[in-house]
Amino acid sequence: MGVEPWERDILARDEMQLTTDPVEAAIDDHIYFSKEASSGGRGFGGGGCGCN
Amino acid sequence: MTDNKKSVSATLAAATCSLLGSAPTAPVQAQEEPNWDFNTALLYYGEDNDRVQDLSLNILGKRYFIDDRSLTLGLTVDTLTGATPTGAIRQGVPQTFTRPSGSSAYTIPANELPLDDTFKDTRAAVSVGWEQPLGRLWKTSVGFSGSFEYDYTHVGLNGSLSRDFNQRNTTLSGGLAIAHDTWDPVGGTPVPFAPMLDVGDTGNKTGGETKDVIDAVIGVTQVISRQLIVQLNYSFSNSTGYLTDPYKFLSLVDGTTGETITRVPAPGVEGPSHEFRFESRPDDRTKHSLYTQAKYYMGGKVLDASYRYMTDDWEIDSHTLDLRLRWPIGEKSFLEPHLRFYTQSEADFYTISLVDGAELPAFASADYRLGDFDAITAGLKYGWTTRGGNEMSVRAELYRQTGSIPGDLLIGNQVGRETYPDLDAIILQFSYRFSR
Repeated sequence: MGVEPWERDILARDEMQLTTDPVEAAIDDHIYFSKEASSGGRGFGGGGCGCN
Repeated sequence: MTDNKKSVSATLAAATCSLLGSAPTAPVQAQEEPNWDFNTALLYYGEDNDRVQDLSLNILGKRYFIDDRSLTLGLTVDTLTGATPTGAIRQGVPQTFTRPSGSSAYTIPANELPLDDTFKDTRAAVSVGWEQPLGRLWKTSVGFSGSFEYDYTHVGLNGSLSRDFNQRNTTLSGGLAIAHDTWDPVGGTPVPFAPMLDVGDTGNKTGGETKDVIDAVIGVTQVISRQLIVQLNYSFSNSTGYLTDPYKFLSLVDGTTGETITRVPAPGVEGPSHEFRFESRPDDRTKHSLYTQAKYYMGGKVLDASYRYMTDDWEIDSHTLDLRLRWPIGEKSFLEPHLRFYTQSEADFYTISLVDGAELPAFASADYRLGDFDAITAGLKYGWTTRGGNEMSVRAELYRQTGSIPGDLLIGNQVGRETYPDLDAIILQFSYRFSR
């Protein structure tokens, strides 16, 4: 399991990062926090709003 | 070797930031000179039946310094309008409600779901984060977040620490966040279970309220192979204080017919046509979540799959499955279909009405978001790289909630008449990423 340092060419690509678009991830977290009773998981639990 | 070192650094930086919900933008690249990387997005979120509409501008700027240090600044501005379910049930006759401000009233036609169309707000959210290595294998970050609405203020601090092991194939991370939020509802905060009163009567309201939230996350990120990386997180969240929604209430009904008890406003004054009681939730909530994510590279395509299980002491359990497949089209563009499945059980104090004459429960809410429902999101994103090397994307998604009301909560005529307020919403987003 794991790779040697010289085998990280694919893992280093933008699209292989766990969060490729932090703004989109934050938008989604905020939408679902506002509409569902669950939040967080990927990171801290979103929130920070009196969402309707 | 230089390239390999950058790659290692990039992967670990992104893994760490992902765990912490902060901002892993481009692979860390700034050994040469400082520069800014901007992620921006314009979002439209719109619900059907004139319910909530949101127009949102999002900007996230990240400045890289030498030695893998970075500063992140975020700004979000939301403009919200539309109507939202109040918690009251339908009736065969029109129903009149006092607005939250207490200064006027509105009437809902017979057999329609009561929605409050007063909802209008602007929200500004800011974030500041600093990230840097500590020696060769450790990394730390600290951050501040603030969110400001007309009736709600949030301020929070967060910090994290991570360490690499096993030739940087394994990263252990931990983070802590604290927040202090303040409610200052329009018209005041309703006393729990207080009746809705006539226009101008504020005897059921008090001043502002607060809540405190502590979030903790620990996780491990593991490189499995050249094509596969996985992450597993455990999250703990505890909220204390005012966790009630000051704008939600319940109908007070007859225990046999299920019809809402009628009332008559004082002479010459507008007011509720029926008896309504403001909701009441516990002042403590503890949530536990397990989250796992995998990214798998398949000959140019990338599968991003995640699953989350959440349980809390309000007896809500939820499961979330999220799937994205990035499909390259040529060298400079891609398509990304997205599917998300969500299901949750109802809170133990969720109900749809209170019975007149019966002893009040300790807590009660008819907020549909605490009910039993499923949701699905289906969408498609198209992204491309401009001639100048910047990145643009558009995405369109449909979010659909379908729920049910447990049969044992329905009384008399409510059977067959009361249904979960299903929701359809569209999400349209344009994103632009560039460096300076």
